[in-house]
Amino acid sequence: MTNLLNTYIANQPINKPATREHTPAFTFDSKGKIKPMPDKGRLLPSRIFGSPIEYVKDLKKDVVNIGRAAKGEANDHELGRINDLAMKLGSLGLAAYLFVKNPLKLNKAMEFTGFATFFASMALWPKLAIQAPLKARTGVDIHQKYIDSQGRKKMLHQDPQYDLTDLYSREDLDKMGKKLGVSENIPDRDNFIKQRAKKTAVQGNTLWMMTAGIASPVMSALACNRLEKPIGKAIEKFDMVSSEKAINSGNYQGLFSGLRRNLSERSLNKFLTQNADKAVDNNLIKQLAAKLGHGVNSASLQSAIAEELAAMKNNIKIDENFVRQALNGKIPESAFTSLSQQQRTALNSAMESGSLNGIADVISHASGTGKRAQDKLGKEITKLLSEAKKKLETPKLSDIEGKVRTLSSGIADFSAGKKVLDKYITARVGDKSGTYIANQWNRVGESLMKSLKLSMKDLKAVSQGNIDIITEKLANLAANDSVYDKTVKELMGLIGDYEGKTGSAFTSTVKQKSKEICTEGSKKFSSKGFSKLAQKLISPENKSTVDNIINVNTAERVSGAQSSFYRLLQSLDLFKRIKDGSLEQQLASVLQESGKNADKTTINRLIKTCKDMMLTATTTDYVEKLKSAGFNLSEKEYKSVMKVLFDSGSDTAIEKSLSKTMGSEQAKKMLSGFKAYKEEFMNKVANWRNGMTPELSRRTVNGVTNGANAVERNNLAGKPIKALIQDVAKQTYNSKKWLMIFGGIMAGLTAITITAGLFLGRKGATEKQVEEESRANG
Amino acid sequence: MVYITGVQSNNSVNMHSPSFRSKRKSGKNKCENHDTLMYAEKKKHPVTTGIKIQADKLTKAFTEYPKKGFEGSKNANFYQFLTMGMVPYLTGSAMMIGVFNAASKFFDTPAAVNACKLGKKMGIGVIGYGILKTLSKKFIEVPVNMKYGIDVNLPYNKVVYELPEKDNRDNLVKHEYHKVFESVDFPRWDLLYNHESFGPERNGFFNRVAKKLGMDEDLQHSDQKTKPKIKEKVIQTKLFSTLSSYLWAATGVGIAMQKPWETLVVNPKQRLSDYKNYRKLAAAAKEKGQQVAKYNNFVKDFGKRFAASCKEFVNGSSKKNNIAGRILLGSAIGMTLLGNFVTLFDFNKDKGSKTQASISLIDDSKEKVVC
Repeated sequence: MTNLLNTYIANQPINKPATREHTPAFTFDSKGKIKPMPDKGRLLPSRIFGSPIEYVKDLKKDVVNIGRAAKGEANDHELGRINDLAMKLGSLGLAAYLFVKNPLKLNKAMEFTGFATFFASMALWPKLAIQAPLKARTGVDIHQKYIDSQGRKKMLHQDPQYDLTDLYSREDLDKMGKKLGVSENIPDRDNFIKQRAKKTAVQGNTLWMMTAGIASPVMSALACNRLEKPIGKAIEKFDMVSSEKAINSGNYQGLFSGLRRNLSERSLNKFLTQNADKAVDNNLIKQLAAKLGHGVNSASLQSAIAEELAAMKNNIKIDENFVRQALNGKIPESAFTSLSQQQRTALNSAMESGSLNGIADVISHASGTGKRAQDKLGKEITKLLSEAKKKLETPKLSDIEGKVRTLSSGIADFSAGKKVLDKYITARVGDKSGTYIANQWNRVGESLMKSLKLSMKDLKAVSQGNIDIITEKLANLAANDSVYDKTVKELMGLIGDYEGKTGSAFTSTVKQKSKEICTEGSKKFSSKGFSKLAQKLISPENKSTVDNIINVNTAERVSGAQSSFYRLLQSLDLFKRIKDGSLEQQLASVLQESGKNADKTTINRLIKTCKDMMLTATTTDYVEKLKSAGFNLSEKEYKSVMKVLFDSGSDTAIEKSLSKTMGSEQAKKMLSGFKAYKEEFMNKVANWRNGMTPELSRRTVNGVTNGANAVERNNLAGKPIKALIQDVAKQTYNSKKWLMIFGGIMAGLTAITITAGLFLGRKGATEKQVEEESRANG
Repeated sequence: MVYITGVQSNNSVNMHSPSFRSKRKSGKNKCENHDTLMYAEKKKHPVTTGIKIQADKLTKAFTEYPKKGFEGSKNANFYQFLTMGMVPYLTGSAMMIGVFNAASKFFDTPAAVNACKLGKKMGIGVIGYGILKTLSKKFIEVPVNMKYGIDVNLPYNKVVYELPEKDNRDNLVKHEYHKVFESVDFPRWDLLYNHESFGPERNGFFNRVAKKLGMDEDLQHSDQKTKPKIKEKVIQTKLFSTLSSYLWAATGVGIAMQKPWETLVVNPKQRLSDYKNYRKLAAAAKEKGQQVAKYNNFVKDFGKRFAASCKEFVNGSSKKNNIAGRILLGSAIGMTLLGNFVTLFDFNKDKGSKTQASISLIDDSKEKVVC
């Protein structure tokens, strides 16, 4: 024993100030005898959530301990904590990698959310499902922490064979004794309670180990599932606000002045260094133009950049300076100074016309004596000039480096503005998930789904394309006034918001800013001598740069989504009119006016066809659908039916519903866009019988354009409601199914764990026997 | 309290009681009162010894220890608690795979295809995490063992004498598989003395380590001289193997997140039917005298995809990606190299002189009493 003790003492660090962490466990009394240090261990207050300050302090200690461990000085406790820290750091590294790998902001954010929720789940599951209920019932905190004499925080019940229950205070023991139902009069009651506490802790810790593996991943996944939407919304809001702020700041170059610009400059530097000695030929120009035009992302501007580079190559002025440099002292200076007036004029004329032979002729005559010598000199001069010209015509990249850098700087300034504008547009109507338009589309779909109240069975059937259920649910929705009004109000709110954020204000901002950016860019290019680029940015034929920064696809996406939303309103309107009987009356009058049979069966058949058209028809098959339902209508009848179907006048069911919830003035105001859409739809899509065939598309009569081309018609018709609901149903079904499986697992596990917790800490046979004996003994 | 060097008995027991004898197959009692170092066994059968230990732990983690734990047995101990830690590791891994795969069979085709792509990557990721985390520790532990003869994972079979309980009064001898250096505060030095595997000397193990550490060969107290150094190396090895293992584990998941895994066919039924189709095709081609490419069996297919994924992980699909992948892999390699550097080079050659410090701290001429 003494030997072990000596070894222990020998291993204690000496010549170092004693810190709390490394206070020796032994000291010497006044007689020089070894004695243990006084006990300083104490329990720490129990908390479900730890203090962030404590967490930071512990983290700091852990980092210090890594340094100590690297020197070989750590202890078991410290190595254990380092392991926990390393696990978090490794996971953080992985989250960071996946953050960079994922292109979408939401996915990026979810990587760190997954990291946070996983560790939070690991920590919270035992606390919420085991520790808290058990403590409430038995008074035993299975995760009770204590701080030992060395200042280390540990779990009191970690090792059941290392008994630390002496740290419990009288109050703790009394409280536990009462909750555990320990008789007041048994001998050695305190010890009895401590044993019960230990037993309960062993049981609780076992339950923790048995359940944590299932609970942590599921809890984390469920948390991520719940957090995805709010995080997505926060990102969307951030993008909208930050891009708006950026576009209004005007300081575009400042926004891209940091790392990004440095990176692109570094890339250019690398290219210039690697190709410094290469001749500026067409291939090199192509490569350089691609590099410089990378940020501009416009084919027409990239070709202008290539032209500017080509101009740098060709722009050689043949003047006296060029001639002197080309001849490089091979001709005496007197050849230039002794020129007669006539020779000077001839030389100037030759230089102006770029005639190398002419120049050689003048100089050789001025400096040479004798025809032969003059001819020889002339040939030599011509050769030298030709070589110099060729050299300048195909300069090395290093020769035009300065100009390239000036051009690059100008392009970077211009592209900074364009990037800010692109960001502004993308945040609102970009073709990727997470943008405003994508999220709003989902929100509209989800709002509708909520109102339709589809069961899982219905969702599955709808996701597989069952139109009967959609029809039935829409009819049910129309039958319930309060739900209908609520749905219309909610949808109108979302559609109104969409109109505001993607409508005329947005378009005019984009046009105005793009004009500003292009004009400013043009001025700068012009001042630096890049006239081709300057012209390209503002020239009328280059409207593609200025006006069409919102490209065609984007515009189609915006109008397509808007039309789909309006078509949804039209569908709701139609179903309400079917419910209140007004559609029946309207269709009957149409048929009666044209002298057709308008009996109940025919009207019902037509109503069914109308429902079908509203839910499934695309722009080309309205006529076909009516035909296949047995309605061979004339142009006038067709127009009337379409009018009843798509434009039922101002007194629509939607307007009535909205007036009830928002007031008629507000309703009119909100529906102005819808009204305009209906007019346009009637004018361009449903105004004449064969309007759907491409050969009879757009035509202008007396200055008024009727009809539209196929793309316009498609955009106006929007997505058929069946397809829209089917898509949303698929997503909802998948999401609910997943949630049912794992939410069910989580709920089941929680129920089992909490129920199992009720059986923990109970009196065993031995404890009962002890109590009975003590009772018998009085 | 009975204290026998190396055997930390928890309770006051009679060592000669038949309860502390496990029964041999013959039915005769066998006295087991010594913990056994498994050096020779591990050296002779390194793989099977490891498997045997892990299998024993795994079985008990799911059976004996939870039973004891739920009963609140007074014989439950920290080893059992730690061993039960395997349960959440395994169930958690399975659950993690399940979270991303289990529901996809209920989805419609395009959604199921997308879910399967992610599910496969996550499944491979969980496996990659486990394999690289375990394997990477060897990158530091093995060189340390080779250079100093210090095996931080050196196992020993611990004999535990339990207290009799209501339903168990006879079978009280239990075995646990510990590691000599599992505690850096209290390594089981006692097991390293007088062990035949290290030669006839009492300090055979320490003499060997001292020699490898470059100390004098005929040290009188090689144990006292080498213990601080062994401890230092054990701590450093544990530190760096831990730090690097999580970086390697993250790298494993990173490799699993690459595209080539998306199309991996895992379903055995489908693979079998693919193989049958291939056989038919091959037979038909053979008849025509044509040649068919060799069949991509699972191992081969997996290997190809692994290689392609590693390549994608390092090269990346974009420049940013490429940097991120290289940083993660670089940090794992860097930490392993740093670990090897720190553990294999002796920066504190005079550390052994600490034993001398005891001379100044404790006056041998005076009587020492433990209070």
